[in-house]
Amino acid sequence: MAEAIATTEHVYVPLWRVRLSLFWKSLRTNWAMFSENPIGLIGLGVILFFALFALAHPILMNTIWEPRVYDPISGYDMEIPFHPSPPSARHLLGTDPLGRDILSQLMYSTRYEFALGILSAVVTVVIATTIGAVSAYYGGIIDTILMRLADLVIMVPFLPILIVLSALTEVGMIELALVIGLLSGFGGTTIIIKSQALTIKVKPFIEAARVAGGSDFHIIFRHMIPNLLPISLLYMMFVVTGAIFSEAVLSYFGLTTIQMSWGIMINTTQLFGYLLRFDTWYLLIPASLAITLLCAAFYLVGRALDEVVNPRLRKR
Amino acid sequence: MWRFLGRRFVQMLITLLLFQAVTYFLIDAQPGDIADLLTLDPNIPPAERERLRAQLGLDRPPVERFITYIGNFYRGNLGVSFQEYPRPVIDIIKERLPRTVVLFLTASILSFWTGFVTGKILAWRRGGWIEYTSTITGVTLYTVFTPWFALMMIWLFAVALNWLPAGKFLDPLKWLDAPISANAVFARMIWSSFFALVIVFVGFWFSNRVPRRQRLVLRAASLLVPLVGMLLYWRLSGLGFYAWDIARHLILPVATVTLIAYGGTMLLTRTSMLETLREDYVLTARAKGLPDKVVRDKHVARNALLPVWTGLVFSLGNSVSGGIITETIFSWPGIGLTLLNSALVADIPVAMGTLTVVGVMTLISHLIADIGYAFLDPRIRYH
Amino acid sequence: MAKPLLSVENLTMHYTTRGGEVAAVDSVSFSLYEGEALGLVGESGCGKTSVAMSILRLLPDNARILGGQIWLGDLELLSLPEPEMQKVRWGRISMIFQAAMNSLNPVYRVGDQIIEALELHWGSVSRQQARERVAELYQLVGLDPALMDRYPHEYSGGMRQRAVIAMALACNPDVIIADEPTTALDVIVQDRILKRLTEIQKKIGMAMIYISHDIAVIAEVSHRVGVMYAGKLVELANTVNIFERPLHPYTAGLMASIPSIHGEKRDLVTLGGEPPNLLHPPSGCRFHPRCARATGICIEQEPPFQDYGNGHYAACWHPMEVDYGSH
Repeated sequence: MAEAIATTEHVYVPLWRVRLSLFWKSLRTNWAMFSENPIGLIGLGVILFFALFALAHPILMNTIWEPRVYDPISGYDMEIPFHPSPPSARHLLGTDPLGRDILSQLMYSTRYEFALGILSAVVTVVIATTIGAVSAYYGGIIDTILMRLADLVIMVPFLPILIVLSALTEVGMIELALVIGLLSGFGGTTIIIKSQALTIKVKPFIEAARVAGGSDFHIIFRHMIPNLLPISLLYMMFVVTGAIFSEAVLSYFGLTTIQMSWGIMINTTQLFGYLLRFDTWYLLIPASLAITLLCAAFYLVGRALDEVVNPRLRKR
Repeated sequence: MWRFLGRRFVQMLITLLLFQAVTYFLIDAQPGDIADLLTLDPNIPPAERERLRAQLGLDRPPVERFITYIGNFYRGNLGVSFQEYPRPVIDIIKERLPRTVVLFLTASILSFWTGFVTGKILAWRRGGWIEYTSTITGVTLYTVFTPWFALMMIWLFAVALNWLPAGKFLDPLKWLDAPISANAVFARMIWSSFFALVIVFVGFWFSNRVPRRQRLVLRAASLLVPLVGMLLYWRLSGLGFYAWDIARHLILPVATVTLIAYGGTMLLTRTSMLETLREDYVLTARAKGLPDKVVRDKHVARNALLPVWTGLVFSLGNSVSGGIITETIFSWPGIGLTLLNSALVADIPVAMGTLTVVGVMTLISHLIADIGYAFLDPRIRYH
Repeated sequence: MAKPLLSVENLTMHYTTRGGEVAAVDSVSFSLYEGEALGLVGESGCGKTSVAMSILRLLPDNARILGGQIWLGDLELLSLPEPEMQKVRWGRISMIFQAAMNSLNPVYRVGDQIIEALELHWGSVSRQQARERVAELYQLVGLDPALMDRYPHEYSGGMRQRAVIAMALACNPDVIIADEPTTALDVIVQDRILKRLTEIQKKIGMAMIYISHDIAVIAEVSHRVGVMYAGKLVELANTVNIFERPLHPYTAGLMASIPSIHGEKRDLVTLGGEPPNLLHPPSGCRFHPRCARATGICIEQEPPFQDYGNGHYAACWHPMEVDYGSH
């Protein structure tokens, strides 16, 4: 039988509808708060731009761009005598030393940057939220072990580990995402989520749930974790930033087996010796700018979300 | 308090052990024989390979191997480099570690201090274009793609303006007649700076306990005495020229790492100050009739410092990564560069050795940061 | 009547919030005489703390004092330049804040925080002298002087409250404003501290403004009582008269709602309704929506704050029956 609550007019409204309207209302309030801050909106705008950027690529490839010339990995423009070539009508951002269109490369890589970022973030959040909630809920020795583990993981920066890892095995997009997700998930994020979970644990409704006979599993997953989601969402943003950044650095140093990404674009530039030349700015700047902007965008959204999730910072 | 420190120290050791275990088994878990990984390099003659195998205990079961590894580690034996065979890894590390430590330490201290001071001042004036500009600057510095930033620094200061060298530790051409090695000069630079700084700190610390009039004199003296002392020392020893060359090469890498770390600290300080402003004791301080600056510095900033200091701990990892990237791009021969290069050429012993050193460095920084926190927050001390 | 020590005249203060302008304090006037304890009572949000903050000029950035004057002897406080006001703060008027748990800076020793105030307002004082003064203050409030070198987190709630009182007394101010100093404590500690505070006040003879929503506490401590409602001062009289002969219906309602152990059993009397939203205060008398005696004039015009003789003031068009002979 569907649960329902009585309103003041003694009309029965189905519970799901109440939940939906409450959810919608809180979404609108939160959006209002979020959009007060131009920082968050700028970040969101940039992310939207890049999303469209990524989507535009297959469209362009299937319509006005000839695959033989514009393919980001194997394209080659024979009509231009010397590569790399500066921006022109045919190639809005010019071509790289291997004759490939830079704009095409930029757009093509965007989808992988998003995929990488989101995959890492999801892995991190799943791990960190679960561990944080479990650790806070059970306390005791489980807590100690998990927190010691988190201490260990925080302490060592994952770039050196990724570097050594790449020396030992082939590191591609998926491996990278998983490793980053794992390391971030077990590290600092867990500690923060756990302290948040601790504040939730002592709230009366948890006690009420326990008295009502809720199992540990039920309490953790139906009560604690939904309340942790806002802060998890927040840290997801920072993980995406870190993931995109790490991949770019590793690819730039030539430590990944990824075929095409923004980092690889810069790597190509370096391999051919065009890195510090001002006249070939189009080889370095678009890719670097893209990395900076997308990382910054996620970071800004995270900061703006921080002000929504953490009311103490709000400016009246 | 000592109990607290003791506990943390022991925790560090355990963490270090865990870290080494992870590192070691990371390599062990790779497809292929660890023995091969560590010894099968064309540079090493077969006879040597056998000796190495025995010494590193590579023909024994995993746990024993690990114990041997740890034993060797604490005895200073980290294996032999493939690339620079037969140079021992520990040798390479000893040469390069001081450079990275100097880079890391200087950049960390500078960025923290400037970030905190500017963040503190900026938090005190909200709104207006100052807040927006500083936020944008801070965010830009924090999120800019590090390799690009480093390259831009090189391009601007070394190529376009030609004020500073584009990379490396020193200019080999200038050192053809050098009486002592670069490492020796560098070591002296470190010691002399260290003593100078100690004098400055002691001077400033005393200046706070001394009546107002003498304060300025004492502070000026504690800055001038070491400065003059250093200048005299370098001139009289005839090594000034060489020290300056190294110093010139230091400036850009230090500036780069400092600027990158600065953004994060500044933003965090501002946030922390804003949160602290809402505390009741700030109202009390104002009610006591204390002037604005005193309230800001002595009450708000002093408490806002706590989360910023904790943030420092979290960002140490980033600083280390930033250092690695910077060293590589500037071809500055420190541990970071060594780590990266060894990974590129699959010089496994060096890669492992440097990874461990980086881990140790990070752990020690964490320990120092924890100790610092205990000094800053009496609630932790008197548990 | 002797000249008042502190005189608040027609103080009006508004807050600007996201929802609009809040008329937090409206035309409040009262005087404080030397050696007396004036109690300021009212529901949460009625403006009593705002009045205190306005006196010390400790208002947040979104608050504006729209009018009025505050006289401390010959000084008009609202027009003082900030450096001068800083001298007045603590030196002549000090404050004990609500929930003193967090009023002390956690990273400095408690004694040092009191010494900070002494060094600021007493000019040249040696560290030794300052410490002696702190010890003296500690004994006065009932704390062990050895505690002055401890940190706030090492004190219990009651101890912190005493320390905060000691700090407020440190510079021998003319006036102390105590804002709900015992609200956050349990009843037994509350009682002890109240008794101690009253003793100190009698002994030193300083003037005190005691702010609380708890009428029973106000009754114990004050010589005179001012009743505030919705940002306005609706009644002011000495304690006995407020309790036994309230003029304003709101005051009468408050008194009636005090449960009594004596007398016959009756239902708990409460005041119906809620305090008004100060973003859009009611027209005329702000109490009219809840008043059983309200008529047309109450809705249209604000009643003046009138003297009914014997130092008893009220702002009401239809005050309760009271005979002072002269009215």
